[in-house]
Amino acid sequence: MADRKWVMVVDADRCSGCEACVVACQAENNLPINEEPSFLQHRAFEWIHIERYWEGEFPNVKARFLPLMCQQCGNAPCEPVCPVYATYHNNEGLNVQVYNRCVGTRYCANNCPYQVRFFNWFEAVWPETLKNHLNPDVTVRSRGIMEKCTFCVQRIHRKSRLAKKEGRDLRDGEVSPSCVQACPTDALVFGDVTNKDSKVAKLVEDKRNFHLLEHLGTEPNVIYLKKVDPNARDASGH
Amino acid sequence: MQLSRREFLKLAGVSAAGAALFTACSIPEKELLVQSPARIPEDVLDGDESWYASVCRQCPAGCGIIVRVMEGRAKKIEGNPDYPVNRGKLCARGLAGVQALYHPDRIKGPMRRTGARGSGQWQQITWDQALNDLVGRLKQLRGSAADTVVLAHEPLRGPMSLLVDRFTRTYGSERLAYEPMDQAALRAALKTAFGEDVVPEFDIQNASYVMSFGADFLETWLSPVRYNRHYGEFRQGANRKRGTLVHVEPRFSLEAANADQWVPVRPGTEGVLALSMAYVLMSDGSADARAAASITAGAGARALASFSPERVESVIGVPAARIQELAREFASHQPSIAIGGGSAAAHTNGYTNMLAVYSLNYLVGNVGKRGGVLLNPASPLKDVPATSGATPFSAWQKLVERLRTGQPKPVNLLLVHGANPLYGLPAEVNAGDALGKAQYIVSFSSFMDETTAQADLILPDHTYLESWGGDVPEPGPGHQVVGLQQPVVKALYDTRAFGDVLLTVAEEIGPDMAKALPWRNVREMVRDSVRELHQARRGSVTAAEFEVFWNKALQQGGWWDSNARSSASPTAPIFSKPPALPRYAGSAPEYPYHLVIFPSLSMTDGRGAHLPWLQALPDPISTVVWRTWVEINSKVAKQMGLVEGDIVRVEAPNGKSIEAPVYPHPGVSPEVIGIPAGQGHSSYTNYAAGRGANPLSIIAPLTDAETGGLAWGATRVRVSATGRRMPIPKFEGGAVEARQLPGAPVAPVTRG
Ligand code: SF4
Ligand code: SF4
Repeated sequence: MADRKWVMVVDADRCSGCEACVVACQAENNLPINEEPSFLQHRAFEWIHIERYWEGEFPNVKARFLPLMCQQCGNAPCEPVCPVYATYHNNEGLNVQVYNRCVGTRYCANNCPYQVRFFNWFEAVWPETLKNHLNPDVTVRSRGIMEKCTFCVQRIHRKSRLAKKEGRDLRDGEVSPSCVQACPTDALVFGDVTNKDSKVAKLVEDKRNFHLLEHLGTEPNVIYLKKVDPNARDASGH
Repeated sequence: MQLSRREFLKLAGVSAAGAALFTACSIPEKELLVQSPARIPEDVLDGDESWYASVCRQCPAGCGIIVRVMEGRAKKIEGNPDYPVNRGKLCARGLAGVQALYHPDRIKGPMRRTGARGSGQWQQITWDQALNDLVGRLKQLRGSAADTVVLAHEPLRGPMSLLVDRFTRTYGSERLAYEPMDQAALRAALKTAFGEDVVPEFDIQNASYVMSFGADFLETWLSPVRYNRHYGEFRQGANRKRGTLVHVEPRFSLEAANADQWVPVRPGTEGVLALSMAYVLMSDGSADARAAASITAGAGARALASFSPERVESVIGVPAARIQELAREFASHQPSIAIGGGSAAAHTNGYTNMLAVYSLNYLVGNVGKRGGVLLNPASPLKDVPATSGATPFSAWQKLVERLRTGQPKPVNLLLVHGANPLYGLPAEVNAGDALGKAQYIVSFSSFMDETTAQADLILPDHTYLESWGGDVPEPGPGHQVVGLQQPVVKALYDTRAFGDVLLTVAEEIGPDMAKALPWRNVREMVRDSVRELHQARRGSVTAAEFEVFWNKALQQGGWWDSNARSSASPTAPIFSKPPALPRYAGSAPEYPYHLVIFPSLSMTDGRGAHLPWLQALPDPISTVVWRTWVEINSKVAKQMGLVEGDIVRVEAPNGKSIEAPVYPHPGVSPEVIGIPAGQGHSSYTNYAAGRGANPLSIIAPLTDAETGGLAWGATRVRVSATGRRMPIPKFEGGAVEARQLPGAPVAPVTRG
């Protein structure tokens, strides 16, 4: 089986900032409930969140939205600093977190330039009844563990095993992380970039493409497409 | 599926190969084999999952959902990929539905009040006792001329609307539908503008230019998931030029943020801007002649002379040149659509505002055209309406008066389902006091909301994930659709479906009721109502046997026919009266700011405030969570000496006020104070109660002149510091910025 390379394309020109992706992720991945104090302490968990940037002032004001999640770097700064190899690279281009190895040094979070890793300072608690909707495919992380966006690895595996059972390859679009599945504007697109016919393989060639913090050389597997601003001063419309 | 031992080892081998990519140093292969045998351990076995199709009930849009169920528990809601309204997509509120089902504070069985009203003292009773109580009262009251029974409910459509309508009609009681952020003016204007009962489809995905007058179509307006889908295509769909979005609204909303141009007008003057554009189009001859003639009853541009850009610029706060430019762009970028709603419809001139906005579509000839306004066909089901009219605020005002005075008729029995007027009605109408005088209140709520807390008897309903139902979505996607709702899990508690209760009660009241409502339960009623679809032999599901048809339709989440479209070709409405200017409560010198209330993206008008995911969902613009905030223009805040977290008192001319912390906002107009609706509950579960403030409570009860809808955008306010402060919980600023030392080179990460 040829190695896959999973890529997410984020089209900032499509994203409306509706935040469906945020709840979709929390519902799929058993994220702890972010109570009010966790925000005040800057300890809220959002594997994907919408970063909002202000530009200008009234009346020529703009707010820009950028969905931000683990960039699944091809050259990930979080990996070499982990003393126990809890975070490593798999053969599908994913930056994987092995919860039962993590000892909570938080070196990885410290070294992540995108600030998308989250540390469990406390044991996650749910009221008894809300535990009913926890996803059995995803570990509930305990105190002292680092976590982050996994590209919904459990969904990738479920579909891969199904394809295998049916003796076929995965179809393009068959696997989608929860945020991608929900995103109503199709701002988020996911797929195997080594499949030349896939939607992502075409989108990554778009001339609006860029990486976040490109200069750091982290080679992210999340590729952004620039927001188009027809009123911007430079004539290129970007 | 089970992996054989052999498969298992093979996977382990693949995983070990992955280690070669490790950047720091190579890991001993053995270690991976031992400690991480197959990728991640929890993924080795798949549990069995089933997916059931149903309909979302978190807002009136009625998107199609599929629910993942494992071992009898609902795990996750996703969009139904086949359902024409939302095609696989959902919004944040829809995704949070499982938290309503498994909410720790659900009402778990029927209860009777024991202490004083509102004291929170309840006694659990059996369903037999509860039904005996209700049936006894209904029987006793029936036919006694001076007595009345009133049923208050959420706006209903589809089979449930039929059921409630037959029940109240046959019994002889009244019914009112409640909607806190009243849309009566918008609905009436759409009806006049397009000559139809049902809301049309706005074909945004094929439009070149969209002008939105206050419609929060990317957040909560009408069918937001559908419009978000459209929006994505409108921007970057294949084989098309990128569409241009212009948003007209006094407040800097999510739509304003996404727009290519934002036009902050004075609140309530959106229709004046639309008419001024109409004037420009008519006078330079670019308007569709037939539409121009019909709008002005033959008089032409002259009739609108008082709306020329020069004459209105100071009224609406937009320069004349810009109005002309907007009009020309609207006409030249074809096809174009004008939509309007939200706060623009919530003024004393809301109806005429909306009529003016929607008329623009006729002037560019885009009604019934691709990329314009497409009319929706009528419901495919006889007797089952596709449209859900809410009762305008003025009728609610009358009901409150009646409760208080007993005139002209007392209310002996108030039944409440899916409506929470005590939270939503302005404090000035004093609904709490009036409700206290109602003789007997029965609530069917699943949660202890404000109105239910005042009830005498509670007969808790199932949540929507435990219920049968049907839907004819409004707005539909331009063709006929019927959605089917089915229970995806067994009822968790000792609750009963509201519809089933009504059917049981009807049977016991008398034979005429039993005859009018001949079904044993809601499931049977829904089955019966779709029989005609089976006989029609068209659309997405056809089968010889009804049983097969029914099962297939349930599996798909409903039935639709993409060929069943509207054939109507309406003509532009006549402006019989010149659209009026808005009236505001409060004078400008004393009350310098317009209060612009907006439905919260996550909690809308407050109905989502009980769900922790929605409470914790950052507002996309301010990123605030769990609380109410007050948006004040940053410069104005600075002049007033206010910084983020300073608690201010926002006071309306009627003396009512709320307090909440300031969020200095670079986008909001200096004349405007923006406050989200949704918080400020005194009850409604532990997640909602006692947090934030409810801006709807302070507004003046002004109404739209034509429809009696609540003018919730028409109150002016003043703002004063309280001297207290609180930290605002929000998401922005969470990440520590990685600061670059001046002059220090960036060392790129390199591969070893
Ligand atoms: S769901 Fe899609 S459109 Fe909405 S905020 Fe997320 S990425 Fe943007
Ligand atoms: S818009 Fe959201 S809340 Fe409303 S029906 Fe659709 S998914 Fe449900």
